[in-house]
Parts: sequence; structure tokens; C-alpha cells
Amino acid sequence: MMESGGRVCIEIQHVSKKYKGAQESSLSDVSLNILTGDVFGLLGPNGAGKTTLISILCGIVPATSGDISFYVDGQSLSESQRKSRIGFVPQEYAFYQELSPRQNLDYFGAMYNIPKTKLEERREYLLQVLGLAKAADNKVETFSGGMKRRVNLAIGIIHEPAILFLDEPTVGVDVQSRNAIIRYLQSVNETGTTIIYTSHHMSEAEEFCKNIALIDHGKVIAKGEIQALKTEHHVASLQSLFINLTGDAYRD
Amino acid sequence: MFKLFSSLRKEFLLLINDKTGLALMFLMPLLLVFIITIIQDSAYKMVNENQIPLLVVNHDKGGEGHKLVKALKSSSLFKIDSQDQIPQQSLRSELLARGKMIALFIPEKFSAGLESNAGDVSNILMDDLGLEYDSIGKEKVDMPRLSFYHDPVLQDNYSQSVMGIVQSYMSMIENSLMIDRMYANMDLGDKSEVLKKKMILNRVKIDQIVASNNNSTALPNSTQHNVPAWTIFAMFFMVVSLGSNIVKERVNGSFLRLKTMPTTFMLVMFSKMAIYVIVAVFQVALTFSMGIWILPKLGLPTLSVPDNFLALIAVVFVSSMAAVSYALMIGAFSKTEQQANGFGAISIIIFGAIGGILVPTFVMPGFMQYASNFSPLHWCLEGFYVLFLKGGSWKELGLVFSFLGIFILICQLATYFKLRLERII
Repeated sequence: MMESGGRVCIEIQHVSKKYKGAQESSLSDVSLNILTGDVFGLLGPNGAGKTTLISILCGIVPATSGDISFYVDGQSLSESQRKSRIGFVPQEYAFYQELSPRQNLDYFGAMYNIPKTKLEERREYLLQVLGLAKAADNKVETFSGGMKRRVNLAIGIIHEPAILFLDEPTVGVDVQSRNAIIRYLQSVNETGTTIIYTSHHMSEAEEFCKNIALIDHGKVIAKGEIQALKTEHHVASLQSLFINLTGDAYRD
Repeated sequence: MFKLFSSLRKEFLLLINDKTGLALMFLMPLLLVFIITIIQDSAYKMVNENQIPLLVVNHDKGGEGHKLVKALKSSSLFKIDSQDQIPQQSLRSELLARGKMIALFIPEKFSAGLESNAGDVSNILMDDLGLEYDSIGKEKVDMPRLSFYHDPVLQDNYSQSVMGIVQSYMSMIENSLMIDRMYANMDLGDKSEVLKKKMILNRVKIDQIVASNNNSTALPNSTQHNVPAWTIFAMFFMVVSLGSNIVKERVNGSFLRLKTMPTTFMLVMFSKMAIYVIVAVFQVALTFSMGIWILPKLGLPTLSVPDNFLALIAVVFVSSMAAVSYALMIGAFSKTEQQANGFGAISIIIFGAIGGILVPTFVMPGFMQYASNFSPLHWCLEGFYVLFLKGGSWKELGLVFSFLGIFILICQLATYFKLRLERII
């Protein structure tokens, strides 16, 4: 699957989602193509539908309608292949805080079917590069917010995924931890991993992402390369673009 | 295999990090078995070991009161405390002060009254037969009354049983007196012994047979009840550890994260169940060891281990599966850890009370005995009773396994549908 500018990694066609009992659809007819090797930002105000879209892409919730296809190295992925090739870093600390980072990585790594020896190598590497080596055997519940975020990230990338979903990976952390996380994610992207990322930090997204889709009320209201969108809407920053397109009223 | 090992290891690590849960699962049953067995031991001994403490105050001037006391003593049913100096009016307070449950007062004219009554009966018989007899000089004394005092907490059927025993000995004494008097009236003197022996001592004997499937002589005692009872209670108390463990994983997103991975949720649940079934086996091993080796050293009855070891394993396994399944269901339905811990613990205490853990079901009123059928703890305990006291056969265990099987199925299905509703499965 080719598109101008590169090979398509995720093809989202007319995806809609309406939760049971909900008055309105969380997603309405969303169509996007995300390119291989891209850092793609899914941006939008609270309740726009970003997390729902990521949840659908990760297979956590089913779409009400529409099609999604995944491609790695030009090959379409089956359901089971997709689970092996994607990584997911949720907004919550979705791991075992009573255990150490080493024990968490051992467990989740095994769930990705990583052989024992390779898992040990990969685990030690991640603990090192994410600055967790010294506390690798301490219980995560004793960690700071930034350290917990790094554990959360390490679990999502333990199996070297081809596609990585990040749902606000830097929320609630200090500047140092945020910079460390973003730097590391950039290095991951440089190895060819496609990253799909949501955030409320527009400056961070502007620095980190190549392409974005702006979602509001479940619909894609703008998509494309950041610079092109800024030029098209005559704004100097992504934040201005965001406010221009979504308004400045409170969102629930 | 590595995946399964990792999953089991993770559950094991979570378990050993839960210090409160471990204390509740291992320390609590040991303490409960120890304390409750000691407390209940005297009550069980009183019921089963035929030594009912009885305070006897004999004011009788004749010999029949002494005969009654001697008969009660020789029965081995009572532990007699003779205090003849106590006046009847203070017997009520003496009974309570001495910590006795029952007392028997024999009045001053007990023998005289019995002899007078025997004389009357004999005279009637002599008249009917048209025989002459010597009726001069015999003082007429009213039929005596024995007084039976009992602690108000004593159950009525228990008092009735004791009075029945006393009545039985009284019949023997009265019959003996009547025969003596009739023979004396007929001037047959000491020839009455043969008839007395025939009438009084050659009574119909009752053979007592324990309805057990083997030759087990194990009796319900405090150890035989409390060791399995509190082990089951502790098994079900794993709801605090496992239930909150499930809530935590549901709420923090670990379960959802696993959904994005190439693994099945069955593996997660299987690992949890396997680890907690092993915990239950250790609980049984620990409390049973206490019952076999430690309690006898404290003068308490030894736990009799059943002969059918395979059936014991099956009962332990099914009971632990029932406990694990209940904990999973509570974990799946609770919104917070506090809810799982609170509701889980209280529900187990209620199930335990209904199910005969705290007090055996046979002492409960009828409707509570019926209600006990709805407690999974009752059926687990019933399984151990079948094994320990009834020499349990597979046939007898069938009903226990059927009920617990249904309970396990309901809990597992409820857990499955709740997690499915939350899109975790």
C-alpha cells in the first residue's frame, strides 16, 4: 500500500464508534492513513475521541463500523500478527506497582512471547536507557511519577514493536522526565518504528510529530503535515492552530 | 511454557507481596483453630464424653436417695459433685456460684415416700389376690418429688435428656422396692432377688452403632469440627487477597493492556486460580498439621485423618476451587479494592455463620439448617464431615461435589460475563 510520501502503515477507513447507551457517536466516519516510520499525532480536546480511536486501533474496543488495516514491511497483518507487532503505552500506570520494573518487564515480555535470553538482554537495555537500572529491583509503588511513566513506556516497547501507540505518555511528569521520554521515543522512531501519539502538550507535539490529525466531536477536522497545516491556516504555532479549529470553550 | 511459568511467577510474586492477605490466609486459621478449639473443647466433651457435671444434694434420711446417687455415679454419665450440706433454698445460687449447669435435690422423706408408695401398691395387689397381709403401723407418706435445677442457658432438650436418665434410675429403684414389699407381704422374704434380677436387670439392651461407611470411630469433637471448619473459612477469606488483586488489575488497566498482547486471558485466570489453589492446599496442610501434632500436646483431641486420601484430595481441591471462584467473582464485580475487601470479608463471615463454621448446623433452628444449604462453606464442611466422621465414600461426596460444582460454575460464568461486559475478555 503506497501513498504519496511513503508506504502506509495503518489504513483507517470510515471508522465510527458509538458506545452502547451513548447519545452521540464517539467517532464518526474517521478515515486516516498513517505512514510507516511516521510520528503521527492524534490531537484534540478532552472527549474528542482520541483515546477511543487508539483503543480501536489496539483492539481493546471494536469499531461500530469501518475498516482498519495494518501493514508492516508492505505485508498486511492478521489479528494475531498485529498483537505481536504493536506496542501500547496507556495513559494509566497499567502494570503491577507491587513488583519491581525488572519483574514487570519479565512478565509482560513473556506475554509477548519473547524468548528468555533475548528478554533478559532487552530488559537490561531498557532499564539502562530509561534511567531505571539503579531502581530495577525496587517496588514501582515507591517510584516518582516520572519513573512510573518510564516503566509504563518500557513495557510497551519491550518487544521492539513495529507500531507504537502512546496515549499521553508524558502526562504528569517533570520537564526532565518528559525530555528523556521524548528523546528516547525519537530514537525509537529512528529505528523505523511508527509512532501514534496523543497529547495535550501542543509544543511537545509540534516538536515530536511529523504529521497530525486534529479530532473534535469524533470527527477529523484537519490532518496532514504540521508545517503545511500552519501555513494553510495562517498561524505560527500548533497551539494557535488547535485553538483556531476547536475554539476556546471549556470541554468536559 | 515460558509464558505459563512467567504468568505463574507473577501471581506468586503478587501474592508474597501481599503481607496482609498472607496473614489472613495463614495466620488467621491457625489462631482461630487454636482459640476456638480450646473454647469449644469442654462443650464437646460435655456432649460426647458422657461426663455431665451434676451437683447432687441428698437430704434423704433413708437409703433410697443414696441408691439413686450410687446408680447415677455407676452410670459414668455424670460427674457427680455431692454437697449434702447445702440447704434447698440456697441451691439455686450455689449452682450458679459453683459454675455447674445442673443440680439434683433429693428431699428428706425421699425413701419414706417411695416405701410408702411401694406399700400401697403391694397392698392393692394383696387385696386383689384376696391374701392377708400386715398393714398395721405403716405411716402414710406422700410420693416424694425430686427437684432438678438447671442453668437457664442449658437447652431444654438437654435438660429433658438428663431428667429422662434420672427417671430411668428412679423406675429401677421403685420397681425394686415394690417387689421387695410384695414379697415381704407374702412372707417370701429374700426370694425376691430372682424376680428383681429378671425384671429389672434383664431389660432390653440397645446396641449403639455409628452409621459410618468404614470402621472409623472418630467422634465429633472440637478438633474434628474446628480444624476443617476454620480451614474452609480461611480458604474463602482469600477473597481479600485475590479479590482486591483482580480489582487492582481491572482498574489500573493491566487487564486491558494484556488484551493488546498476543496472549489469552485464560492464561491470566488459570495462573491466578492455580496459585490460589496451591495456597488453599498449603492452608489445609498447615491447619491439619496443627490438628495432628500441636493440639494433642495441649490436651485437645487429635485430628483423625480420613482413610480415603484420594477423596480428601478431591474435597480439598473442590473446596479451594469454590473459594477461588467466589474471590474471582467478587473481584470482577467490585468497583474498588475497599469494596472487594469489605463485601468479601463480610459475606464470608455470613456464609460461615449460616454454613456451620461458627457453630455446627445441628444445633441451629430448623429454618437456619435449611438456609445453610445456600452457603458454599456448609458444603465444603459437609465434604470434610463425610470424610472425617462418616468414612466418606464417593457416593456420599457426590451431593457435596454437585452443589459445589454448580456454585463454581455460577461464579465462573458471572466473572466471565462481567469481564466480557467490561471488554476485558
